[in-house]
Amino acid sequence: MVNESGALDGVFAALTDPTRRAVVRRLGEGPCSVSDLARQFTISLPSFMKHVHTLETHGLIRTVKSGRVRTCHLDRRRFALVEDWLAEQHRVWAGRTDRLEDFVTRSDSESPTPPLEDLR
Amino acid sequence: MNPDLDLSLQRLIRAPRSTVWSAWTDAARLAQWFLPSPTIARVDRLEVRPGGALVTSMSDDGTVFVPHMDACFLVVEPGERLVFTNALDSTWRPTDPAPVPMTAEITFGEHPEGTQYGVLVRHGDPSARARHAELGFTEGWGGVTAQLARLVETIAGE
Repeated sequence: MVNESGALDGVFAALTDPTRRAVVRRLGEGPCSVSDLARQFTISLPSFMKHVHTLETHGLIRTVKSGRVRTCHLDRRRFALVEDWLAEQHRVWAGRTDRLEDFVTRSDSESPTPPLEDLR
Repeated sequence: MNPDLDLSLQRLIRAPRSTVWSAWTDAARLAQWFLPSPTIARVDRLEVRPGGALVTSMSDDGTVFVPHMDACFLVVEPGERLVFTNALDSTWRPTDPAPVPMTAEITFGEHPEGTQYGVLVRHGDPSARARHAELGFTEGWGGVTAQLARLVETIAGE
């Protein structure tokens, strides 16, 4: 759980940057070489490489070198981790609402509750 | 409401508002639905007033209880609205709760067939160590979430 939490921290931190999000968006369409990616951004290549490195460090992308060309791929497993995290937060509240509904519709006939005026 | 960062639920509950309200504000009743069965919830403190405590424990065997939630109410509008946060504990001390700091707003609306029940959970910094003040985080959340949805749908379709 600690590892997963740490991984999530890294994913969220990596996604705080608009350039890195743009890279993720582009790679969502398919793999792309670093040089082709870099051409789409108006920053220096060294700066761009830092972003690539950050994304790779946090597991959002993988890069594979073939000859002189380094190609970036999205690592979708990391995104699934974030999706799971969001879904979990939602599930807790949806489940709680289901149980509340069961409880109040069940207990309604058995034990009438005072009208709101009495609660104030 | 920030649709990019918050969770919201709306549900029509076919029971009177007073019943739904008391299910939240009567400790014995709250304990009966707050946690999923078979986990047993115990309501340790329930002070339904602004600044009041909301402290619950949980148990799998009914004997050994471990902390579940240590929160405090921010807003209490009888029959209408409850707002509480676990970013402050019941003694108003700032905390870094697991799994996530949040502010929950529960609304109990009038509906011809019962109660229009609403949950809005606000999240600030989803990762305690992520520098959420960094430029573009909030702005980017929606895009990222939409991106995630597309990716996951793609994965599911593969």
